[in-house]
Amino acid sequence: MFRQTLLWTSCAALLVAPAAGAQAQPKAATKAAATASSKLGAKVESRTFKNGLKVIVWPDHDIPNVALYNWFRVGSRNEYPGITGLSHFFEHMMFNGAKKFGAGEFDRVMEANGGSNNAFTSEDVTVYMDWFPRSALDVIFQLEADRLQFLSFDPKVIESERGVVYSERRSSVDNNNMGSLAEQVQATAFVAHPYQFPVIGWPSDIESWRMEDLQRYFKTYYAPNNATLVVVGAVTPAEVFALVEKYLEPIPSQPAPEPVRTQEPVQQGERRVVVKKVSQSPLLQLAYHGISANDADAEALTLLLSVLGEGDSSRLHRRLVEEERVALRATTMYSGGFDPSLVWVTADLPPGGDLARVEALLTEELARVAKDGITDAELTKARNITLADFWRSLETNNGRGYALGATETFRGDFRKLFDAPARYERVTREDVRRVAARIFATERRTVGWLVPGEAPAATPAAHKEATR
Amino acid sequence: MIAPPTWKTVLAAVLFSSASASAAEQPALKPATVKPSGRQGVTLPKATTLTLKNGAKLILVERRDVPLVSFSAWLRGGALADPAGKEGLSALTGELLQKGAGARDARQFAEAVDGVGGRLEVHSGLEALTIAGQFMSKDSALMVELLSDMLLRPRFTQEELEKTRARMTSEITAAKDGDPRALVGTYFDAFHFAGHPYGTAVDGTEASLPGIGREDVLAYTKNQLGADRLILSVVGDFDAKALGAKLQKALGDMPKAASPAPQVAATTVSKGRRVLLVDKPDATQTYFLIGNTSIARNDPDRVAANLAGTVLGGRFTSLLNTELRVKSGLTYGARSYFSPESQPGAFVISSFTQTEKTDKAIDMALEVYARYRQTGLDDATLESAKAYVLGQFPPRLETGQQVADKLSELAFYGLDSRDVDGFAAAVDATTRQAVGTVIQRVLPPSEDLTFVLIGKASAIREMARKYGTVTEMKISDKRFAPAQR
Repeated sequence: MFRQTLLWTSCAALLVAPAAGAQAQPKAATKAAATASSKLGAKVESRTFKNGLKVIVWPDHDIPNVALYNWFRVGSRNEYPGITGLSHFFEHMMFNGAKKFGAGEFDRVMEANGGSNNAFTSEDVTVYMDWFPRSALDVIFQLEADRLQFLSFDPKVIESERGVVYSERRSSVDNNNMGSLAEQVQATAFVAHPYQFPVIGWPSDIESWRMEDLQRYFKTYYAPNNATLVVVGAVTPAEVFALVEKYLEPIPSQPAPEPVRTQEPVQQGERRVVVKKVSQSPLLQLAYHGISANDADAEALTLLLSVLGEGDSSRLHRRLVEEERVALRATTMYSGGFDPSLVWVTADLPPGGDLARVEALLTEELARVAKDGITDAELTKARNITLADFWRSLETNNGRGYALGATETFRGDFRKLFDAPARYERVTREDVRRVAARIFATERRTVGWLVPGEAPAATPAAHKEATR
Repeated sequence: MIAPPTWKTVLAAVLFSSASASAAEQPALKPATVKPSGRQGVTLPKATTLTLKNGAKLILVERRDVPLVSFSAWLRGGALADPAGKEGLSALTGELLQKGAGARDARQFAEAVDGVGGRLEVHSGLEALTIAGQFMSKDSALMVELLSDMLLRPRFTQEELEKTRARMTSEITAAKDGDPRALVGTYFDAFHFAGHPYGTAVDGTEASLPGIGREDVLAYTKNQLGADRLILSVVGDFDAKALGAKLQKALGDMPKAASPAPQVAATTVSKGRRVLLVDKPDATQTYFLIGNTSIARNDPDRVAANLAGTVLGGRFTSLLNTELRVKSGLTYGARSYFSPESQPGAFVISSFTQTEKTDKAIDMALEVYARYRQTGLDDATLESAKAYVLGQFPPRLETGQQVADKLSELAFYGLDSRDVDGFAAAVDATTRQAVGTVIQRVLPPSEDLTFVLIGKASAIREMARKYGTVTEMKISDKRFAPAQR
């Protein structure tokens, strides 16, 4: 209800944003796109307040509505054994009552004023979104300020919310084969870095988060200096800044959170994980150690993954689904974070499908692109797809809120959103080949197989729940 | 893995996202006369409408804010025109429209779309096959070419047919390993509307797809996918006059459908309670739908029904979500929604919970439901629901693609822009009494309900019996309906 966990997201295009180019005259069209995109951002204003809160406003009056995105730099990356899943659980708790607006009031007041909301947690961030008519602007700021300043922690509410999160885990992992396999692959790919933890948390940790963990989390990470607030839509920057001054600036800043110091050591050889689950269809997932969102190769990687996996004309779809007919679907996924995260290459097999054969074909395709690179036509195509995604993402208040916040958070400056077409223009075929060679090394990957099996007598998850 | 549906996307599917209101002449919406709304609403842009000699209807709207062109093409027929035993024929035909057309084979067709960063998607629906597309405005000539090739010159090669058919069949099997929320509605429709075309599994079944051949696809195309069934809306950065001429030239020769459009018999509310239990032996959670036949897309009370549904299960603070999630922590989500079609479609309550608490969650949902039917809602709740549906309405018509879809959808159901333009006023004018009356009419009585449960049968079989006569099937069965006795 969808306050959701992005265990791994499909938002790569948004996070890494734009590209440019046109088939006939790539240069000219790109220049036009670059000009158009910087014009688009001309009305965006930002200000950092005394307590360290950065606020970005993009006015747009097409519809009488507003999207608010509040980005907190906290996710499963900030967890350790015993408290895994806490960031996500905390995401839930932010809706469960504060001082002026008690339990249930946040949602009740917001909806009565025409607003709705959602939130998501990833390995790196927790993001709260509100969508509302402009008439609700003042009350939305009151709601946000109240929970940021005075969140309450009622033990009864915590217990009830644990059940909600457990149900969410059952939906996204335990009763979902793709989720089950991804969790194991991710946990195997990282041995040191906290990206190994599932965002939703391990079952035993879900059962044992404590009050003091929650309170410490709130104080440390939900500080104004650890957040970026983005407001997009039927507003003026001046009125938003005035509301921030009135409601949010009085919230004191906190000492900067401890940085995550652990770096994943270089992988020395291929790892493999096999999950046996009741199913009719096998699944294959390859996870390669990738790069961080701010890496100089980020744009080249986006174009590479587009050539490999985006659309029915992509290399992997052509080879596995259309020509060899060994898979139902072949995808590539990458969502850049603060630290180098995984690049996923996955295939869904038909019932009775041959995992070894699909793995061999994928491996061959990835080695081929690392050796020979891509064609001019493929580069142009990938740029066009990325540019079109860019325009689409900026078509709505919601898309603009996400794109601005993601760029500011992961690239350090929201203005980089508008430079993106130019950055994609600079990517060469050799850049793409080089990044393929950098990423697709078999000794630095984890291979996950989901193999159809029989129902176990009692699954550990079922047992745990029964005893709760 | 794609995350579960967000509250927002769920809403889009739920609250007749497309439905809404107004004082349309045909069919009329209650109340017939309304005062102008004090709240800000949305109005549809003025469109240029053309009807070609062959019956194709074109609706064009210029919109220049981003360099994109979006279209939405609706072809009446959909899965309703699938012959018995050939469920999935319209869906397979739709898939094949993109697998080679005009001068391009499947690969060249995909290259043409991807090469310019375009999007082209066919969606198979119960009552219509729809094609949605979006291109950069500089590529609008290519867009017209690809669309008209699909509609007039699909290749339907045997090779592509076999490949696509095999893939679609396997996808259904694979979906049964995935999140049961994706399939529970298909089981519900098949069980609840058994014997009526609304029970058709739109994407076919593992049993029906292998029996569909090229001659079936050719016949479907000739009989159903005709110009007189086509409604095409285009919104975006173009000159309406020039694009209109181009489309007229491209689609003017499209033949009419050889057969009359499928007629749908009236749907009825089923009496009594019955249960379909779908056994998924490894499930640790039970997924359930509870409902009955409710209202049609153009029901004159649709605004009041929308408000009634919002309060019961259409938003986060709905009665169902408050009890099952917020207060008791039984589930990640509980909601209700209508599936409006030309004839009354289903109204359902939907949730899931750990296996051991299946009956507790279902009992709680039924209790909330019975209480709501009995006592209705107070003024404050109605006011809140009004503010909510009005506040959430504008972002549903924010993009060119959304506007194109809406224009085609309204034309398809014989509605017009008043359904959108008059929505805010109609919401404002709805009284508590009107909602109360609608609740009694469109929400089926508690004693007349169809239940579908997907879960671990050995653990929930006994619990299921208390809700009605239980029919059982396995998730691995190759149909969505239980075997006929």
